[in-house]
Amino acid sequence: MQPASSLPLGQPRSAGSPSFVRAGFLGGNEFGLIVLIVVFATLFTLATKGFASPFNLFTLGRTMGIDILIGFSMMVVIVSGGLNLAVGAIGVCAVMAAGWAMETFGLPWPLGLAVCLLVGAALGAVNGEAIVRSGVHSFIITLATMSIFFGGMVFLSRAEAFRELPPAIAAFGKLRLMGFLSPLLLVAVATALVLGWLYRFTSLGRRMLAAGASPKAAEVSGIRVDRTIVGCHILSGVLAALAGAMLTARHGAAIPSMAGHLGQDWLLPAFLAPVLGGTLLTGGKVSVLGTLLGAMLVSMLTNGLLLLRVGEFWVQAFLGLLLLTAVLLDLGRRRLLARHRIAV
Amino acid sequence: MQSMLGKAANTDWFGPLVVVIAAVVVIGAIEPTFLSAFNIQVLLSAIAVNLVIALAQMIIIAIGQMNLSVGAIGGLVAIAFAGMMEVWGIPAPLALVLALAIGLAGGLANGFIVAKTGISAFIITLASLSFFKGLNLGITEAQPFYGVPDAVKAFGNTNMIGPIPWLVLPAAIAGLGIWYLLAKLRIGRQILAVGGNPHAAELSGISIFQTTVWAHGLSGLLAALGGVMVVARLQIGQPSIGDDWLILSFAAPVIGGAVLAGGHVSVAGTALGVVVVAIITQSLVLFHIDPFVVQVVLGALILWAVGINRWREVRVERRLRGAS
Repeated sequence: MQPASSLPLGQPRSAGSPSFVRAGFLGGNEFGLIVLIVVFATLFTLATKGFASPFNLFTLGRTMGIDILIGFSMMVVIVSGGLNLAVGAIGVCAVMAAGWAMETFGLPWPLGLAVCLLVGAALGAVNGEAIVRSGVHSFIITLATMSIFFGGMVFLSRAEAFRELPPAIAAFGKLRLMGFLSPLLLVAVATALVLGWLYRFTSLGRRMLAAGASPKAAEVSGIRVDRTIVGCHILSGVLAALAGAMLTARHGAAIPSMAGHLGQDWLLPAFLAPVLGGTLLTGGKVSVLGTLLGAMLVSMLTNGLLLLRVGEFWVQAFLGLLLLTAVLLDLGRRRLLARHRIAV
Repeated sequence: MQSMLGKAANTDWFGPLVVVIAAVVVIGAIEPTFLSAFNIQVLLSAIAVNLVIALAQMIIIAIGQMNLSVGAIGGLVAIAFAGMMEVWGIPAPLALVLALAIGLAGGLANGFIVAKTGISAFIITLASLSFFKGLNLGITEAQPFYGVPDAVKAFGNTNMIGPIPWLVLPAAIAGLGIWYLLAKLRIGRQILAVGGNPHAAELSGISIFQTTVWAHGLSGLLAALGGVMVVARLQIGQPSIGDDWLILSFAAPVIGGAVLAGGHVSVAGTALGVVVVAIITQSLVLFHIDPFVVQVVLGALILWAVGINRWREVRVERRLRGAS
């Protein structure tokens, strides 16, 4: 039963008629993001010298690939109505474990990557189990585990980086396709396709969305909500580990401080991308394309502002304002659409 | 007597108090320097600063929200406080007032946006965290301000009476003030009512908008006080002040029995939570254990505390069900 105030007064128009499908897309996040990306890309190309140079496009693509993965690692838990503050800590822990395994046992890089993803999955499973079993909100559990994972990793590694990794890893990070394209961006796009397929065509993905939209209704219709939430956290761990692996390829080394103190540096990009992309924080609605575009916009703005010599310190203040503007615009858009009685 | 003990065992502060007494006795017996005047002074300084930080978060937990920007406000205020004195030569008392005003303004801005838009405080304060931190780094370019007057340095590093440092004074005032506010004042009762059940609070005529704005303003003010106290203690305006406040600010209220859904917090419990954290941190140093283990212990403490709180809730529920 909806509260009376939110019910439209007149005859509700069908949201399925062709003109409103179009209005839905044109008024949607994805379209707005595409417009913003095009506008800013044009501005930066005109205003700066190096923006459209092959080398800048290459470095921009690398950063985009990593930011997209970080955004996905948060998106997959937001879908379930929770969040994961430990994404940065998991990402760093996973690559440090893989770095240790590769240096100590001389593992080749595919096995190293497997170790990395497995550790990410395991740490994600720890988060998920702790949340489901305790019944405590994921915010406080992942706040605690972020401290535990990161502290444990620094203690075990003595805060020293692994720099003697197989040369193929650094080579992958330096690889340029057609002179300007980084394979890291392709990895991100491939991940996006897999996630899009997961949410659209598999029952697991549908269960994740249902568990986020309404846990009680999902439980009643036979979904094991607990298991599904653990699944979301495992997926988040794997994606965070993959983001860490990509960052390692860019640096050519596994460095404990590459996500900042406790991995906090990942938090802002992790939330920016899904929120800009229209993933609901309350769960149940996801936009993989939106997250991808959101992360692309953020990396592009950062890159462009740096080229404009805004100063790297001010960029952070700007990104904060961007997040604020984005949520306010989104709110305004939703109110406007609600006034015109268009379902979103 | 039995029933009094039973009643005490059900309060928020009882568990942490037992832990504190046991820890002091055991650690004091193993390592007598733990109870030396110097160590007590170090311990009290840390407790004083951390209590103010924890209260800044506790007041927001009370209305059922969270404030990720506590550390960023504290850091911005810290460098503004030191910077005003170094660059403009503003006298310390005036700089203090201006610094607290900055914190208050930052908090009020958080509260205004959260209350006006209805967007989750998590997202708003994540955005303002980034904004305040960016301002901090933009102003300082990551370089500290060194020109802190001697009077301020002395305040952060000398003792009032015996081993009790001056820093305890503002912390005690803040603690008592918040306790009085929550227990006796109208706005305090309104904060707890909104945290407990916003819908019922609104129906009984409480303005959720005003309550949220004031709670966030208070949080900003306390974060600012924390930032100023850290400057006095460190004797420089370090841009990295506040970076490590996040975990701590949640750990102490949660150990003290705060309900994260809102409506139930305890100043005494939070203070004891701060003491527990300080004793553990300090004894790790005394026993020459790797300082990075502190992170692991802090995280484990939070998990332990939410576990205990959860267990108490389940017990109360079961008793209520048994009674009905």
